[in-house]
Amino acid sequence: MKRYTLFFFAFSLFALSSCEFKAPSSEQFFLTEEQVAEITVDGRIYTLHEFIDSFMTERGNYLSDTVQYRSRANDGDDIYLFSIDTLPSSGPGIYIRGRVTTDDYGGNFYKALCIQQIVDGKQQAFRLSIDMGSASGMYPLGQEIIIRCNGLAIGRYANQPQLCIPSYNNNAYAQNAGQKVGWAPGRIPSARFRAATHYIGKADPSLLVYDEITDVKSITDRTDIVANRKMDAKLVRIKNVHYTGQYSNNGTPETCSTGNPEEDGNANVFAPTTLNVNYPQSRIVQDKSGSNFCVSSSEYAKFAYYYLPGADSTGVDSCKYYIGDIEGILGFYQDNAGNVSKYGVDWDDWSVTIRDLNDVKLYLNGDDSSQENLWKRIEYMWKKEFTPA
Amino acid sequence: MKRFLSTLLLIATTLAVFAQTGLKGTILTDGNSTPLVGATITLGNQNISTTTNQAGQFSLTYLEAGDEEVIIEAPNYVSVVELVQLTDNQTLDMGTIILQPDMSREVQNEILLNLAEQDLNDDEGRTQEQASAASSSSDVFNNLTSFTWSTARYRNRGYEQLFEQNYIEGISFNSSERGQFNFSMMGGLNDASRYKETVNSIEANNFSFGGLGNATNYLMSASNYAQGWKVSAAGTNRNYKAAARASFCSGPLGNGWTFMGQLAFRFGPYTNQIAQIGEGIDYYSLGYFFSAEKKWSDRHRLSIITLGAPTRRGQSAAVTQEVYDLTNQYNATKWGWNNYNPYWGYQDGKMRNSRIVKSYDPTIILGYEFKIDNDQKLHFGLGYHYSMYSNSAISFYNAPDPRPDYYRNLPSFLWDGQLTERGGFITRDYNDMLLGTPDKNGNIAVQYYNGQAVGRTIDMANYKTLTDLWTSRNSDATQINWNSLYAANYANNVIDPTGSASYIIERRHNDITEGMFSLNYSNTQFDHLKMTAGLEVKESAGIHYKTVDDLLGGNQWIDLDAFAERDIKELATNIGLSQADIAMVKQNDVNNPNRAVKEGDRFGYDYTIYMNTTKAWFQNEWRWNNLDLYYALQITYSDMKRTSAMLNGRAKYLAMLDPKQENIYLGNNHHYFIDPAFKAGFNYKINGRNFIKLNALAMTQAPLARDAYISPRVHDRAIETIYTHDNAKSVKDFYASSQKIVGGDLTYEFNYPIVRGRVTGFYTRFWNGSELNGYYDDESRTFVNQALTGINRRHCGIEAAVAVKLGTYFTLTGATSIGDYRYVGNAYSITSAENGMALASKMDENGKDVPVFELRDSVMINGLHVANGPQLNASLKLSFFHPKMWFADITISYFDRNWLDYAPSRRMYGLYYGTRADGTKVNGSFKQVFTDNGAFHDARMLEADGVTPVLDQYGTPRLQEPYRYMTEQESLVSPNAWDRFIIDVSVGKLIYLANRQSLSINLSVTNLTNNVNLKTGGYQQSRLPRATRQGITDSSNENSTITSNIWKFPSKYYYAWGTNFYLTLTYKF
Repeated sequence: MKRYTLFFFAFSLFALSSCEFKAPSSEQFFLTEEQVAEITVDGRIYTLHEFIDSFMTERGNYLSDTVQYRSRANDGDDIYLFSIDTLPSSGPGIYIRGRVTTDDYGGNFYKALCIQQIVDGKQQAFRLSIDMGSASGMYPLGQEIIIRCNGLAIGRYANQPQLCIPSYNNNAYAQNAGQKVGWAPGRIPSARFRAATHYIGKADPSLLVYDEITDVKSITDRTDIVANRKMDAKLVRIKNVHYTGQYSNNGTPETCSTGNPEEDGNANVFAPTTLNVNYPQSRIVQDKSGSNFCVSSSEYAKFAYYYLPGADSTGVDSCKYYIGDIEGILGFYQDNAGNVSKYGVDWDDWSVTIRDLNDVKLYLNGDDSSQENLWKRIEYMWKKEFTPA
Repeated sequence: MKRFLSTLLLIATTLAVFAQTGLKGTILTDGNSTPLVGATITLGNQNISTTTNQAGQFSLTYLEAGDEEVIIEAPNYVSVVELVQLTDNQTLDMGTIILQPDMSREVQNEILLNLAEQDLNDDEGRTQEQASAASSSSDVFNNLTSFTWSTARYRNRGYEQLFEQNYIEGISFNSSERGQFNFSMMGGLNDASRYKETVNSIEANNFSFGGLGNATNYLMSASNYAQGWKVSAAGTNRNYKAAARASFCSGPLGNGWTFMGQLAFRFGPYTNQIAQIGEGIDYYSLGYFFSAEKKWSDRHRLSIITLGAPTRRGQSAAVTQEVYDLTNQYNATKWGWNNYNPYWGYQDGKMRNSRIVKSYDPTIILGYEFKIDNDQKLHFGLGYHYSMYSNSAISFYNAPDPRPDYYRNLPSFLWDGQLTERGGFITRDYNDMLLGTPDKNGNIAVQYYNGQAVGRTIDMANYKTLTDLWTSRNSDATQINWNSLYAANYANNVIDPTGSASYIIERRHNDITEGMFSLNYSNTQFDHLKMTAGLEVKESAGIHYKTVDDLLGGNQWIDLDAFAERDIKELATNIGLSQADIAMVKQNDVNNPNRAVKEGDRFGYDYTIYMNTTKAWFQNEWRWNNLDLYYALQITYSDMKRTSAMLNGRAKYLAMLDPKQENIYLGNNHHYFIDPAFKAGFNYKINGRNFIKLNALAMTQAPLARDAYISPRVHDRAIETIYTHDNAKSVKDFYASSQKIVGGDLTYEFNYPIVRGRVTGFYTRFWNGSELNGYYDDESRTFVNQALTGINRRHCGIEAAVAVKLGTYFTLTGATSIGDYRYVGNAYSITSAENGMALASKMDENGKDVPVFELRDSVMINGLHVANGPQLNASLKLSFFHPKMWFADITISYFDRNWLDYAPSRRMYGLYYGTRADGTKVNGSFKQVFTDNGAFHDARMLEADGVTPVLDQYGTPRLQEPYRYMTEQESLVSPNAWDRFIIDVSVGKLIYLANRQSLSINLSVTNLTNNVNLKTGGYQQSRLPRATRQGITDSSNENSTITSNIWKFPSKYYYAWGTNFYLTLTYKF
């Protein structure tokens, strides 16, 4: 009897715990260089700049009628801010590789990855537009990836080169919708991107390379629209800056208000509401030579309603005392919506998008030992009088 | 004197002998040699019944003389009806009567048990009601329909399963928390669950008060079973593939003991084959049953019963029409091709299902029967039941949604933003530029792929690529990509070894422990009167928690609420909170912040609902020559109380917001209810063959614990009507939270040797039902819980059935049910965010904007159909029986009037009028409604413009297409009439062997014509397609809009299985 009882319980355990699956080895997902060579044997790995140069044209190949793309200025200038070039779905493999420089945990990046590649000691960078929320959960900071680009597209959205698919912008609710509608780079469906991508080695954020910017004018003075495209998406560190407590009103710095960031788009926080217009909010930082640069944040970021370093409910006067470095992704964004006659490069076409507050390395009077004080200020969030319903 | 006394004695003796008008006989089976134990013999006219003893004998005395109809029935045997003439003061001996096995019934019972234990819960949908395994009885209607209509998920009179009462040996096993019986506890134990007494709907009931639906009492005492061994093996292509069973009954031993036991093993390993029934499902179940009974004379009987069935089974999901169409094309030429299941993916080269149910309900029952005298009987029952039920699911944190059929992964997502307000593809852009070259009529040529029109603004190459992934069933894209989940976790382990895994499999437990006591007393000492009374006590605890089932290569999981963390900004705006306070809000257990959990650890929530239910009832049944009459009364006391082992951060946060409400969120409040019930009925016997029966019921019913709490995983807040009840100052208030039910049925029944059947009309009215839903709300962009109260509905209809004997070999049976089950009023809802964020704001009396955490609104459901299976069903069955023990039957069934379950979130008053019942503005309402001048009007402006919308007959505004597709209740009935038919056949052979041994084989084939287009159910998704209206700078305007994209969150459907079979081989010895 005892034997039968034991058999019964043994069987029950088997039934309830059966079909255990062997976990895949972690090694199988992180390709070695030899494996990279094996999977790319059907084609070639392009450097990011080679990729842009080889496949991204000014007029794009997706539409025969290039008038449908938005241009920066008059047609005669032959400069298009938006374009799409499709990549052959068959034939030799077209590969790019790079290390992920973005992190969307802070909510400041959305359905986009930036990658960097160090070629001859210099950083090359590129954007990947993917329809994947919380992409960092799958492609974390510092993870090197390789992407088979066949069947996808390369294009420019507001002059920012990116891996994409063709997509038609029909957002009738957009501001200046009449100027924005049309074909533009769109997000790659998640399943397609996953299928095209492999990890190379294990993630290592310490291998990320920052281009240091000690004089922001060295960036904002770059006026070559075409050349600037390759500056976009670079991981940078802006040295010795402080917030001015200002925002850019079409290129004119104006002081932030002490308003309610839920209602006032100019409030002295990182990113107050845009009332659903959904554009990144810029806040100005100044380097030691007095030149201005925009730091960009999304109103959907978790820290969006935090006061700017040094700001509080009384104003922004103390911002200038918080000095240090800011890290993030360099952006060169040119959209002609609302100002079709505009040409050339303005200083506020440039920005740095911080990934989260860890990218804001400012200290009281530039003294990094006072970091604690800064974080107390930052954590002193915007508050609102609460009245129970 | 002596002579006088002798004369008196002679007269008395003579009277006594003469008074014994009686009937006796012996029932045999299995080659005319084996006594049939437990067969029921009923006299149709006198409504008296008895059962056969171990020798197969029966005897009835003190009968009334005259023509009588004798009905002999036994589970899984073909019933026999014989006409006899009883003579005064004589006992008629019917001799030996042979009952032939109903082999198809035996198989059908097993299939029904299997169907009933399935649950088709979906994350976003409401539970689909299952077929009942307990409704079969000798009734012609139930006999035919209980199995045949289960294919289409037919529900008796449209009632949910919770209205059916299921007892084992007189003890109620309906769950106090969920209301229904868990058939999984009897998984595969077809022999053990064979004997039962079933009471149709409201009729008089001897083991309980009963209720609206059928009541079944499983008789599992060992003496019910026939002596001997029985072993069987089965093969099927259903969700398990094979079964083996063995049972043994000792028969009565010399010492008064009888023993019975059964083992049943069912299994279905992963087959790695797609497009098969049970795709991606594995199935293991081992059922056991043991019953021991001791008799000490005819007066005392003690029985001990234990049973259980540890089961592990994979689940499948409802899919959208788009997914169904895409995946069908993979295997369109093969059988069973509507079986795409998004829950599985390949791992290690094998199918792995992410949704695995594990259940085990060890049960022990102690019964004691005491015959006080010939007229009085007392039955005590003690039961203990521990229901372990859990289901697994993938959970993810700061990572992409892993569901392959997530709407963004489907080709139709490319339509988003590319449709006109009328739902068609745009042909002109915003600047009125024509998209493409027009034909001579000025139309843009439509482009097609895979039979689907594709708009000019869709990138065809991308559409083709995505479509091809689906039609080819690319497993990386259309199934769970386990490798990518592991890879994501491994990658995150490297950069943040102490951080949370991106993906895990969590296991959601809902254990229930129940202790039960029952007492049943019957008394027949008074002429024409049978009195029955009972007491039922049940103490239950519903234990809810999550555990980590598999870290999928991650190092640990951090116990935080992802929605609360993501919406921290919104949470912060509600109150002046410090960063530390905010960090507290996202904690699932404030007392263990940021806890790292590993496999097996509890996390997320850990709460228990304690319930106590006590029922006391009595019933009086009066029987006269031409009339039977009964009435019964029941009083139910129930209470519930929730406690939590974790202090949830959102609960604490809500309590902080309004300290006056702290007790509501954290108070562990005790709620109690008292509910009366009354029923009565009669059976008028027109003559010995024709009867008219009337039954009526009125009762109140406290809300089930599962529907009583708005957000039970987070806090103690109950539905609002419970607080009205708790603080009642009037009877009306006291019953504010209880459902009120009034119903009745009227039956005409006839019973002739050649033909018998019945016609029944029924009507039932429900008031103030309640239910709970949860879904992701795109308006507030967070997960919300919605408590519905005040649900009123009406079920009415007709049932009819007839069985006709066609000569010696054939019987023709027909049945139909035509019902109309509808909501007859609008419901009321309270919606709150699971993460505690405010969902709207409102001006207070000082003109100040204040946040609103609970939205109150009407739900416009008046006139909608109750989605509990088809409301028009009909079957015709031809049965064949040959004396050489061949059996066969063919059944053709028709199903119609079946509707999709509505989503309350799509029927909110505020969506039609722009303002909720509580005065808050809806951010994004339906755009266009018909107005009284026949034009369309922007719903957002209705109030401002003073325009009156055109209402349908139930008072719901009529919407313009395509918005009406999002709200109107869809018929599930195929326009193709052939798709509404199902044909079932079965064939069997019984071979009698020497020494009372027998061998039988039976094949049952369901859905012979492989009708895979029969939708058996489905639900509207709660999410509505919304888009942000950019550039709205005036905060008083809506900045969200409901788009015309009906493809985005379409309805999901369940389909009937394609052709499936069940083959059994049984050996008795």
